[in-house]
Amino acid sequence: MTILSSRLATISALAALGVAAATGAFAQEKPVAGAIAEGSLKGKTLTFASFGGIFQDGQIAALKEFVDKSGVKLLSDGPTEIAKVQAQVESKNVTWDVVDTADFPPYVHCGTLFQKLDFSKIDTSKIPQGQVSDCSVPAMNYGVVLMYNTEKYKDNPPKNWVDFFDTEKFPGVRGIDGSGDFTGGLLEQAFRATGGDPKAMTKDDIAKAVAKVRDLGGDTIYWKTGAESQQLAESGEADMLMMWTGRAMTAVKNGAKYTPAWQDWLVVMDQLTIPVGAKDPDASHALINAYLGKSAQETLTKETSYTPINSEAKPVVDDTVAAFLTNTPERQGQGYQQNIKFWVENFKAASEQWSAMMAGG
Amino acid sequence: MSASATPSQRDASPPSRRSWGALALALPALVLLVVVIGYPLATIVLRSFAEPQWGLQNYGWFFSTPINLIVLQRTFAISAWVTVVCVICAYPFAYAMTAVGPKLGLLLTLCVLIPFWVSGVVRTLSWVILLQDSGVINSMLRSVGLDGVRLIRTQTGVVIGMAQVLLPFMVLPLYSVMKGIDLRLVQAARSLGAGPIRAFFTVYLPLSLPGIYAGAIIVFILALGFYITPALLGGPRSTMLSTLVQNQVLSLLQWGRGGAMGVVLLVATFVLLALAGPLMRQKHKQGTR
Repeated sequence: MTILSSRLATISALAALGVAAATGAFAQEKPVAGAIAEGSLKGKTLTFASFGGIFQDGQIAALKEFVDKSGVKLLSDGPTEIAKVQAQVESKNVTWDVVDTADFPPYVHCGTLFQKLDFSKIDTSKIPQGQVSDCSVPAMNYGVVLMYNTEKYKDNPPKNWVDFFDTEKFPGVRGIDGSGDFTGGLLEQAFRATGGDPKAMTKDDIAKAVAKVRDLGGDTIYWKTGAESQQLAESGEADMLMMWTGRAMTAVKNGAKYTPAWQDWLVVMDQLTIPVGAKDPDASHALINAYLGKSAQETLTKETSYTPINSEAKPVVDDTVAAFLTNTPERQGQGYQQNIKFWVENFKAASEQWSAMMAGG
Repeated sequence: MSASATPSQRDASPPSRRSWGALALALPALVLLVVVIGYPLATIVLRSFAEPQWGLQNYGWFFSTPINLIVLQRTFAISAWVTVVCVICAYPFAYAMTAVGPKLGLLLTLCVLIPFWVSGVVRTLSWVILLQDSGVINSMLRSVGLDGVRLIRTQTGVVIGMAQVLLPFMVLPLYSVMKGIDLRLVQAARSLGAGPIRAFFTVYLPLSLPGIYAGAIIVFILALGFYITPALLGGPRSTMLSTLVQNQVLSLLQWGRGGAMGVVLLVATFVLLALAGPLMRQKHKQGTR
């Protein structure tokens, strides 16, 4: 009996060594986006937090292959709030393994709330230029686009954000994203409309940019949710709308008489992050790497109409969806990239001035 | 063991035992209150003094930032308007509930309660559809020649939406008080020569005041903390304090400042209630006299 059990122990120890060696070898290889090690996460559970709705459903659908192959149990939670991440990190009880956040948080809280990513475990070679940070990879791309009412501005449509801020040449009600934080790109464009150069913007210029937005007047609508912006377009409440491309596309699909002015559309993305103190960082990295794969990204776009962030992804979508994808060469040429570094450095000042303006100040 | 000792013993011991027993009955609720309200509240108060450093910095910031004071004042003003609108709408309704027969009364009760079961967000979004510039109300107004009435994104719109959400909290206390009013007192007043208006103002209204006070306090306090309705129906000029708290806590992770704002609102509410309390009691006494 004892001989048998000690032999068994030896065999299982050897087997364990073998597995360890195999996974070790696997980790040292260069990662490939979308590659999933068969059965590697059996018995493990990962919690993925995002913003809910169609978007999160699409993300979970995109991760189906990862779940099936790795054997992981995937839980879905949300909506993402940085205060919740902070509470988890501070109480040392981190229940979110991968978190989908807005543009800025991984820059503002890199190393404090979000951990530096290990890029020997994530393949970033297919991600568009300039979108990977120390603490994040993009979760998808989309745009903030200027939509205008084609019946109102028949022959003289606005062409860019400077026109958006010109209420004399282009009278009409404006609708602006008031759902949360300021959009850096919009403030840069507002500053441009005052005659300034966004590339040379200083901290003091933030007040000028915010004042330019305030000057749009009392009729301006600050929409609170994406659904509301879509409703504003479909009911014709606003003549010019700052909209997310996903919502703009759905509004057009539903018959809204609006069309985008693509010049200087604002490039925005969601970010994938891993909180500091996540239970199993290796598994979190594996999820992110799988998420970035070609077929996962194709599924994501089909389900959500957001632009994939794997350059090889070729999702099959209808014409309206295709018209609002932002990764074509033409759109890439027209896009405007906000100065993330500037806004991260001046986040507090900008956020306070923006929220004071939003509160009628 | 004399006969006279027994009643006094009976008098002495059972009340205290009864009060402890009563307290035990309240224990689950007390525990719940301490855990889900007391503890977080204490944490928020503590953080308002302790973050980022110990001191009064967060309160200094609150009172030296003009927008905070504007919004604080606005929060109280909107809540007061909502309370007034609720009283005006709920009073006749609650009276009708007591005056009609049991079947109609049940129907009226359901009318109050059914919207109560629908989520506030859903109701607020229905108000968006009704109040918007191209909405039902405006197209009706337009058909009678009133053009360009702005309802949505104004304080008026916010007050309408909030009053509808909070109406049950006014109707129910009023109803429970009115149900207990003996209508023969009104008849007596009439028989002694008071006209219907005088009978109402000297007899019925004073007797129903406790219901108005109870409802008004509940509605006013609930209104102070409203977030979704002003966010969806209002514009920048109807933003309430909760939105500013949200920005400090969720966007800037300034728990100290957010906590200070909450504490200021709480203390201001207590002060207001402390001022209103004696006034109400006095009026109430006058009324019953």
